[in-house]
Amino acid sequence: MWVRCILALTGAALIASATVHADDTLPPVLISRQLSEGEHLSVGDVIRLSASDNGSNVRQFRIAGIYEPTPDPARLGAVIREVQLHLPDLLGLTREPSAPSGSEYVQTINVALVDPNDADAFSRDVRARMPGIDAQPASGAAESTGPFIVLRRFHLAIAIVTIVASTVFLLALSIMLVDERRAAVGVLRLIGLPIRRILLQLFLEGLLIAVVGSVFGLALSLLSEGIINRFFQWRYDTTLVFVRVTPQVAAVCVAIAIPLGVSATVVASWALLRRNGLRLARR
Amino acid sequence: MNAMGFAWRSLVRQPARASLGVLGVAAVGALLFDMLLLSQGLVISMRDLLERTGFDLRVTATDALPGQGPLIPNAVERTQAISQLPSVRSAVALRFANAVVLAGAPRGVYTTFQGVAGTGAAHPWTILRGRDVTAGRPEIVINENTATRTRLDAGSRVMLRASCNGQEQALPPVRFTVSGIAQFPFDSPNGTTVATSLQMLATACGGNETNEADVIMVASQERAGPAAAVSDVAKLLPDLHVLSNAEAVNRFERGGFTYFRQISTVLTAVTLSFAVLLITVLLTVSINQRLGEIAALRALGFSRWRVVADVFCESVLIVGGGGLLSLPVGALLAIGLDHILKRIPGIPADVHFFVFQPSALQVHLLLLSATAIVAALYPIRIVARLPIAATLRDEVVG
Amino acid sequence: MSNTNGYIVEARNISRVFPMPAGAVTAVADVSLEIRPGDHIAIRGPSGCGKSTLLHMLGCVEAPTAGTLLFRGDDVTQLSDRQRSLLRLRQIGFVFQRFFLLPMLTAAENIELPQSEANVPKTERRERTQELLEYVGLAARAAHRPSELSGGEMQRVAIARALANKPGLLLADEPTGELDRATGEQIASLLDRVNADGTALVIVTHDPALAERSTRILSMRDGRIEGESTSA
Repeated sequence: MWVRCILALTGAALIASATVHADDTLPPVLISRQLSEGEHLSVGDVIRLSASDNGSNVRQFRIAGIYEPTPDPARLGAVIREVQLHLPDLLGLTREPSAPSGSEYVQTINVALVDPNDADAFSRDVRARMPGIDAQPASGAAESTGPFIVLRRFHLAIAIVTIVASTVFLLALSIMLVDERRAAVGVLRLIGLPIRRILLQLFLEGLLIAVVGSVFGLALSLLSEGIINRFFQWRYDTTLVFVRVTPQVAAVCVAIAIPLGVSATVVASWALLRRNGLRLARR
Repeated sequence: MNAMGFAWRSLVRQPARASLGVLGVAAVGALLFDMLLLSQGLVISMRDLLERTGFDLRVTATDALPGQGPLIPNAVERTQAISQLPSVRSAVALRFANAVVLAGAPRGVYTTFQGVAGTGAAHPWTILRGRDVTAGRPEIVINENTATRTRLDAGSRVMLRASCNGQEQALPPVRFTVSGIAQFPFDSPNGTTVATSLQMLATACGGNETNEADVIMVASQERAGPAAAVSDVAKLLPDLHVLSNAEAVNRFERGGFTYFRQISTVLTAVTLSFAVLLITVLLTVSINQRLGEIAALRALGFSRWRVVADVFCESVLIVGGGGLLSLPVGALLAIGLDHILKRIPGIPADVHFFVFQPSALQVHLLLLSATAIVAALYPIRIVARLPIAATLRDEVVG
Repeated sequence: MSNTNGYIVEARNISRVFPMPAGAVTAVADVSLEIRPGDHIAIRGPSGCGKSTLLHMLGCVEAPTAGTLLFRGDDVTQLSDRQRSLLRLRQIGFVFQRFFLLPMLTAAENIELPQSEANVPKTERRERTQELLEYVGLAARAAHRPSELSGGEMQRVAIARALANKPGLLLADEPTGELDRATGEQIASLLDRVNADGTALVIVTHDPALAERSTRILSMRDGRIEGESTSA
């Protein structure tokens, strides 16, 4: 909303009135918490707003309330200095003096449907009935926003590198742990147990370790989710959620971790089992 | 055989696990290196780009960034006044709008639209083919993307419908002649840009706001420097806001760029923790498998510090080998990640997220060194406090 | 360094008690003995009687919890860990039941290792290593790793390693414990030769045949020396 932005950014034109007592005849406005804290304003204060940089066409308003702005990732790091007006007041404030009343416009109309599942059908209907108007479901708008798609790919790339590094280390550890049992494995081979039998046992052990490790990893991620969110919410003075471990994310992580863990054990064991039992048993 | 030679032989005796340890450190180290490049990369790249444009000050109506605040009235006169300051080499007024070039596609090609005014000043673009626009004439320059999509070139005539002040408007299209193909420094890779004189942009925008600009860009005299120019302009035009390149970069850093610094900090911390944890486990498991040998060496007369040095050198070799390998791997990874991030809409093509700086390499080496030390602490503790006789007994019983 | 009696080791009423959660365990109780240059001593006894613990104390690997232990007249319990390490490096040699050769080093490198740690110059190290390999009959196996040697060969390399810095005292803990009889006989003969060449030798064993080769046989039970006998 460009008008709201102008109002937000025209900090110089915002003049806090020294009037303490509220005038109920003045039109009410809501201000953002950040504006309230930055300009030391509180409910009941009277402020004067202008939509022009030279302070002309000033009007008085009464602060009726202070609100927490909806967190917007596109404005991360910005101090949200906003004023919310009733639409007629906003139009009255921003109308060009020469423009006739009724010729104003808005950029966006937000619609809350009775049934949110009707969003797509509603959008199509609006577009068909009103050419020149574009209607989009809110969820679709979020998904189509370029920066977030790019950031998702970026995080995915980071995750892939982390998985590669983890797999390498996991393989190294598996080799070491399996090697510790080489004598025992050698003896089992010497007394006649087939490779498949021993491999099955090692597979089951690897599976158990992978499952326990995955559960532990999930618990750790849930803990760090809270810590990271709290830190960044404090750092940026926002209520945005930065990290969210959804059931889908958890499922994908477990689906990757368990096969990797089991595979590492099996690969490490296979390399060992291919050797002669006598060599394995000998210290 | 000194401690480093001994450590080398200890690692080489198990080539598979040693190689995997080094590869793991290389992967983690590459990520660490990239996060260090990312932490300042965008800021450095943006600063370079701003300086390469040749202008080191930006004057706006308010403290909003250029194009995000109200227009500067009487822009032409103010630009002339600024350009006459002794500390100023040149000044241009710039106004931003949007336009649809009615060519190349059924509904035209949507582009950004710039208009400039400035006497004797270089325009903020570089002519690749053809010539620059002439003030007062209905001429435009277009970038390569626009030229490709509209199939226009220098000399072509085209209709253009402007959309100004961020509003959807029903302005009549205006005929222009393409005088040249230009490169715009802040173009995104797929961005389409058209530029003309300020006067012609105002005409295309309905002709009502002929003397307004979003920003006045100023180049300071070399001998005076940006600080003097900032001061002079602020005194001349106290109702306007003056922003040097350094201040603009600071604003970017505090704004959208801050996300990348924060994410790089978080990932650096996670990466280091990961590396320390895994190298500690690798070394500890390796040490635990050799306790008998270590106890025997102690019994033979090896001092505590000697066996500690052996363990420490193993950590140094794994981290050092992996760290060296992490640099080329990190460089390749940075190219890939940079390619991904540059697809963020609105990011200029000449801006990079991952920029090499010697300081990043120094920090990388420092962090890896710290990793080698910290990772070795627990296994060192094991060998330093190893009860020789009890270990020898346990080995026999085991 | 003082040496009032000419003993290499003088133990006076030494004990070693291990504190355990279930109660303290006295591994060695009130043992007194002296080791003179050229002695050939066997310590025998049933498993768990404290033989190895006593050997470790005599070798300055473990400190007694009570009593006095003098090495060439110096009270070992007053020495720092660094000093005890140096003492073991230069004056005591250890041979273990499990050999404990470093698997990534060759036979020659295993023997060179203590010399290198004692800062013996390279040329001298190489000469001494070659000499020792010939002494134990393994000159042809110098470049072989322990995994390429038999049990007896590994123990011979371990003995050579223990002799690397020309110690005055060699301590062997069940040196033939993991070897067959014939190989054990070879090792026993080699140890006899080491002793005959002037190195004091203390062997812990539960093998009566090996013990009988010593001039002094100490019998241990429950952490105490029950008796001492001499062989014919």
